[in-house]
Amino acid sequence: MSKRAARAFFVVGTALSTLIFLVLTVDSHRKIPALTNAAAIDATVIEGKDVWHRNNCINCHTLLGEGAYYAPDLTQITAQRGAGYLREFLKDPSRFYSEERDGRLMPTLNLSDQDITAVIAFLGWVSKIDTQGWPPRPILVKGSAIPGALVGAPAPTAASNDPIELGRTTFNATPPGCFACHSISPNVNVVGPSLAGIGATAATRIRSSDYHGRAKDPAGYIRESILDPNAYVLAGPTFSAGGHSLMPGDYAQSLKPEQVDQIVAYLLTLK
Amino acid sequence: MRYTSQRVAYPYFVVALLLFGLQVAFGLLAAAKYLGPDPLLEVLPFDVVKVIHTNLLLVWVLTGFMGAAYYVVPEESRVELYSPRLAYVQLGLWTAMGVTAVVGYVFRWTAGNKLLEQPFPLKIVIVLVMLLFLYNLGMTIRAGGRLTTTEGVLVAGLATTALLYLPALFEWDNYTLSIFYRWWTVHLWVEGVWEMIQGALLAYLLIRLSGVDREVLEKWLYVIVGLTFISGILGTAHHYYWIGVPRYWLPVGGFFSALEPLSFLAMAMYAYYAMRRSGLAHPNRMAMHWTIGSAIFSALGAGILGLAHTWPAVNKWTHGTMITAMHGHMAFFGAYVMIVLGMITYALPGLTGRSEDSRETACGFWAFWLQVAGMFGMTMAFATAGITQTYLERILGIGYLETQLKLQVHILMLVATAALFIVGVALYLWDFFFLAGRPVAALPGERLAAARPTA
Repeated sequence: MSKRAARAFFVVGTALSTLIFLVLTVDSHRKIPALTNAAAIDATVIEGKDVWHRNNCINCHTLLGEGAYYAPDLTQITAQRGAGYLREFLKDPSRFYSEERDGRLMPTLNLSDQDITAVIAFLGWVSKIDTQGWPPRPILVKGSAIPGALVGAPAPTAASNDPIELGRTTFNATPPGCFACHSISPNVNVVGPSLAGIGATAATRIRSSDYHGRAKDPAGYIRESILDPNAYVLAGPTFSAGGHSLMPGDYAQSLKPEQVDQIVAYLLTLK
Repeated sequence: MRYTSQRVAYPYFVVALLLFGLQVAFGLLAAAKYLGPDPLLEVLPFDVVKVIHTNLLLVWVLTGFMGAAYYVVPEESRVELYSPRLAYVQLGLWTAMGVTAVVGYVFRWTAGNKLLEQPFPLKIVIVLVMLLFLYNLGMTIRAGGRLTTTEGVLVAGLATTALLYLPALFEWDNYTLSIFYRWWTVHLWVEGVWEMIQGALLAYLLIRLSGVDREVLEKWLYVIVGLTFISGILGTAHHYYWIGVPRYWLPVGGFFSALEPLSFLAMAMYAYYAMRRSGLAHPNRMAMHWTIGSAIFSALGAGILGLAHTWPAVNKWTHGTMITAMHGHMAFFGAYVMIVLGMITYALPGLTGRSEDSRETACGFWAFWLQVAGMFGMTMAFATAGITQTYLERILGIGYLETQLKLQVHILMLVATAALFIVGVALYLWDFFFLAGRPVAALPGERLAAARPTA
């Protein structure tokens, strides 16, 4: 090959690659708004993005798998934790995690309520971006290294029409992401309380004097807890704040009635 | 060294090496934080240490490139630099920008966009510095009326580096778009135009060190740079897979990223060929070490270890784990750190008026081998941590925090090998500042008939 030919290889190769890259870029630029649900980017989401940038979040966390590797990925965090929980967490992370126990702790950022609302809205918008199926399995902040927590199970799909099986599937799917906070092993409280033996616990609880809800049986109690987490509030640093449950309060809207029935049926089987 | 004005390279090398020392110190601190608990949690948290570590890398490598260009361009164009004074002004502005950025990060002044965290006013200073720099080089080449292929590739690489920084000045409301265009700067720098700079410096060093015919080396330089762009431009796609873009970026990224090792392998073969032809006869053997080292380590770190995780079906599981850090560390070290240290080592005898074999000190050899061994160990530590993390966290679905606790043994290895690496860096700095001597004094405009055994 002569030097001339080598130069032609360089010039033509580079020009062609650049051209293809630019064509794909123009096409992507037109399609990204639909793929990212850009219509939902309102002033709060933009403000939340600024909060995200201003606080240098990307240099510990990853978002869409990009960033630093010192703290968990937050792409799906709003699907795994309710806004109430995230608000309390951002006010004081040390209430939920400790360096001694977990090896890592987020510094307290002293964010204003408005900042917190905005950054949660931003993360909520991110969680709905079409990521071509990434992550293939949920990336959890904590938990699941627990016997019986379906470690290593494939992405949940129901194996039969058995309501219990369907309930188990929904419990382990994101959304609603029940499994991300609730362990089904005894005494393991990831964020919310363990649901092992919840049927027996519920039976005792509805008979106790401090229960003022409307449930008459364990199934009713579990259903009530899902649809109205504030009906009976359990005390605990990661369970509730100011007498309000930190569990998401919108399952009455986001879950179909039969899905709730199935989850209840499944949870009643946990011993 | 043939032209007095080449001496402006020296202060650039001083600044580059000081920032290099600071960069690795922050790197070790960041690694130690993985072991926790962190006594500096509220004072100097991980994010601040990490942003300083990565930004110092970009700043000092660019400083090294600038110094190298000021050394190479007068020699290639056979003319004094257009304005040494402008070069000093540029260095002053650049250093002030770098120091302000670092101090700013400590006080939480940041734009928060990964690798482009420089606040907007500092971004403007960066653009200004690049313009001064390119103007100075351009006027020099014009005055000389001679543009070799090697320096042409070098200057084109530097000019496109400046051009590709421009997307970093724009903000997007849509986070996906801001990531999309961020990679125009970051990816097209390190897997595009910086490789051009690396290739050109490698060609320059091989021509000088091996004495192989310039025509042959420059012909292959075109091939290498051609391969770099054919694979690297569309290889940008491997950053796009999961960020909210159309699906076609997956096959595009998989295919072109798989071609990316070719240019690095070509560079390694290139260096091997040149050395076989010359029989390693040049007396500056330390410069030879760094030059060949750069060709080999970039082939391993950027080429092979990059390919290890760019295939979409693999990247789906490894994306956002320590696997990325494994590739990043060895790639940057091989491709950019080693080539800059190679240029500095090559230029030093000329700059300080000493003999070509004066760099062959025990300190210099230890600096080389400890850095090589340390970086190899760090890469292995990141790799074992990354594989474990991918398996536990991504495949088994164990929580992030529990997984991190299980990586501690790999982090211990990381800290230990990073400490070795830092000793190597410290020895390099010691050699440069205390053993290599000071730049020779000469009046402006005076031609240095260098006291060198070889021309």
